[in-house]
Amino acid sequence: MSSVTIRGVKKKYGAMAVLHGIDLEIRDREFVVLVGPSGCGKSTLLRMIAGLESISSGDILIGDRVVNDVPAKARDIAMVFQNYALYPHMSVYENMSFSLRLKRMAKEMIDRKVREAAEILNLSTYLERSPRQLSGGQRQRVAMGRALVRDAQVFLFDEPLSNLDAKLRVVMRTEIKALHQRLQTTSVYVTHDQIEAMTMADRIVVMNAGKIEQIGTPLELYDTPANLFVADFIGSPSMNFLRGTLEPGAVVLADGSRVPVETTGRGAAGQKVVFGIRPEHLSLSSDGTGLAAEVEVVEPTGANIQVYARVAGMPLCAVFTERHDFRPGQTIHLAWPGRNAHLFDAASGQRL
Amino acid sequence: MANRIQKSVPMMMILPGLALAIAIIGYPIFDLGWTSMHDVSRFGKLTGFNGGENFAEVFVDPLFWESLWRTGIWTVAVVGGTLAISMPVAMILNDDFHGRGVARVIIMLPWAISLTMTAVVWRWALNGRAGLLNATLMNAGIIDQPIEWLATASTAFVVEILVGILVSIPFTTTILLGGLSSMPQDAYEAAVVDGASGWHQFRYITLPLMKPFINIAIVLNVIYVFNSLPIIWVMTEGGPANGTDILVTYLYKLAFRFGQLGKAAAISLVMFFVLLAFTMLYVALVSRNDRDDAAPEEEVKE
Amino acid sequence: MTTKLTRSLIYWALLSPLMVVILFPFGVMFVTAVRPREELFVYPPTWGFSEFRWENFSEMWVKTNFGGALLNSLYVSVAATVVALVLSIPAAYAMSRYRFAGKGAYRTFLLMTQMMSPIVLVLGLFRLMMSLGLVNDLNSLVLTYAAFNMAFTIWMLQSYFNSIPRDLEEAAWMDGASHLTSLVRIFLPLAVPAMVVTAIFTFINSWNEFVLALTMMRSSEDFTLPVQIYAQVAGRYQVEWHHVMAATVLATVPVAIMFSWLQRYLIRGMALGAVK
Repeated sequence: MSSVTIRGVKKKYGAMAVLHGIDLEIRDREFVVLVGPSGCGKSTLLRMIAGLESISSGDILIGDRVVNDVPAKARDIAMVFQNYALYPHMSVYENMSFSLRLKRMAKEMIDRKVREAAEILNLSTYLERSPRQLSGGQRQRVAMGRALVRDAQVFLFDEPLSNLDAKLRVVMRTEIKALHQRLQTTSVYVTHDQIEAMTMADRIVVMNAGKIEQIGTPLELYDTPANLFVADFIGSPSMNFLRGTLEPGAVVLADGSRVPVETTGRGAAGQKVVFGIRPEHLSLSSDGTGLAAEVEVVEPTGANIQVYARVAGMPLCAVFTERHDFRPGQTIHLAWPGRNAHLFDAASGQRL
Repeated sequence: MANRIQKSVPMMMILPGLALAIAIIGYPIFDLGWTSMHDVSRFGKLTGFNGGENFAEVFVDPLFWESLWRTGIWTVAVVGGTLAISMPVAMILNDDFHGRGVARVIIMLPWAISLTMTAVVWRWALNGRAGLLNATLMNAGIIDQPIEWLATASTAFVVEILVGILVSIPFTTTILLGGLSSMPQDAYEAAVVDGASGWHQFRYITLPLMKPFINIAIVLNVIYVFNSLPIIWVMTEGGPANGTDILVTYLYKLAFRFGQLGKAAAISLVMFFVLLAFTMLYVALVSRNDRDDAAPEEEVKE
Repeated sequence: MTTKLTRSLIYWALLSPLMVVILFPFGVMFVTAVRPREELFVYPPTWGFSEFRWENFSEMWVKTNFGGALLNSLYVSVAATVVALVLSIPAAYAMSRYRFAGKGAYRTFLLMTQMMSPIVLVLGLFRLMMSLGLVNDLNSLVLTYAAFNMAFTIWMLQSYFNSIPRDLEEAAWMDGASHLTSLVRIFLPLAVPAMVVTAIFTFINSWNEFVLALTMMRSSEDFTLPVQIYAQVAGRYQVEWHHVMAATVLATVPVAIMFSWLQRYLIRGMALGAVK
């Protein structure tokens, strides 16, 4: 097992730059998730670590060895592909043992390792099947098994769960996490699903348009997003944003209503700002004070109620765990704990 | 440096094949061009530069113009007839019915057999005395005297055109089937919901979407038919009295019967340029289809 | 279900005239091949005949040197197929897996060579083979058939290769395989069906070719089957039609069966590559 260091890495296809200089230190035994919308460069970065894409400039180190010019096969990295990439003409056993056979490992040794991995992944009874006889979840497990037998320095995952249905995705998410807790192999995991990132990662790297927006533990990103992009990307439903002008002790919205907020040390009066509050942090104010919002749509999910409303012409969502009987057109008053309010500069998008 | 080696890998992979193609297909074109500007002996010796004399000779040769005219008729008739039959056949084969597999195999059958063999069999079947076509028609009471199908140029040419159509159907049907099977099913369902009749569906959905495939079928067939020697060569050798000669048969006679190599080279070159024009058209069509692939949905909806 | 039945009946009725015309020559072939020589030219002409004369086939075999022509055809077709495939497989792989400078130009070149027919170039080819001393040498046909088929084989192979996911090879590299190992152990085994289908079509094309064989092979012991059969018909005062038809049956039927079995792959291959 080994750390991975990425220093000023850039990627260009001809004149088009895909990655604009990435710096990232992945510690030994850590589970790091690269997350971002499609096209943000996260898969490209992963494939560069794997050795499947060349590096335009900068360095990638595995342990303390620069691997820029080391071919994929010599990097001692295992990878789980989005479409599994199981060899269709080989049985499950042959798929899992392929890398070991290439290393000319002794037969009994291979057998032991494959059976061990199969045991962990509940594949023992499927070893003689061919991939096309397996369900999606089983194929996914075989792909993991192929990585598992290797004892590789680093595991790479390229959106491994995106082809599974929603239920199975949740199950496999837990399995992968449990597996990592058991094996402690340094892992880099790419996904566009922020819930996957939040639930699995030791640290999350949020990427956008070829740049890193923020690196942090899931709770750091949730509690103190560095900018509007991260604030919007992490959390579901997304954080509410209300645009306004900063005044001492409040943000003034377009219609003149005042949103109270702690402003000491956060920007200057008259500055254009964005006030942010997560839907789940809103509650009904008992005394009729607080932010007035007009209810438009009510969506009960059973566990909670999502209310879509309008404040000074801007959309706002609130989630309540207790039951309410709201009607469209009704005005409700919302309150929140002050520590959960976020403030961003409207021009730069940076946290204030 | 490793990078440069990697960059040359694909080149190394295409190079051997490219070399063979240039030697076998590229060099003869050059040689034909060279030969066409020289006096050539019967035995292929170039005996002196003569400029455009060979071409001049070709252009005053009435047989050349007759063959050219007949090539035009041959090409238009065969390609037109083939398309007129292949389109309904492809639409039937694209639909689901009992025995479709068998029907498909039978329709494709002529493709499997060399044009030479087909032509030999037809030459016998059309035999004026004992041909089984005459037997069939006489049994059916359509004619009461055997007909010498290949003895007069006009009937022979018509028969050759019909055989030409027959052997072109499988290939054309295949292309059209490829197009039909890639047709978006939901467009038809939407059309039915919108109240389109069968004819409307054909006119406003099938035909516009099939246009690229029909275009390619036309161009490829024109090229193949224009170049097709065996049918006419085996059935009548361009005879009687050059009455069924098209350019390729005339060219072949000049080159390998009469030893007029300079003139034959000149005709080859003329044909080459005609072919080149059609090929350019084909290349343009193919690359346009590639581009169109990106956004076909938008057009379907109107 | 009745609608499907009626539809089937209508379709078969519509197709039947065409099918009769397609099957007619096959009927002619068989009926002539097995009838006694004396019954070839009877008046009025008739489909009927008195007995099955299977000896026609063995007589024909000896008299027309069918065996020799068969061997020539086999040699030429197999060798041309092997040459075409050996040259096409790497080219198709490069087209399918690499971006490289000149790829577009190469694609256009392939399209052009596919369109170039042997007949237009036949004089130039003859002069080329003459200067190489390959006239009357079956290898001249091997080279030309390979060259003229290559555009088609590259195209066909490329469209199949494209359908083999690239990440299988990448997974093999990650598993520690070199490029060569992944090619040999992952890619090629998966490409075998495509290569077999392409090979068979190339074989059939070569087997059926006429113009070049007629031109390059000047002596009868070098004739391939189409030329040999043509030679039994052309410029002869008396044609032994029962022998000719027997020879046609033998030369045609195996290929027709092979083709019928494979035609759906051709439709698929063309849908994947050549047309789209």
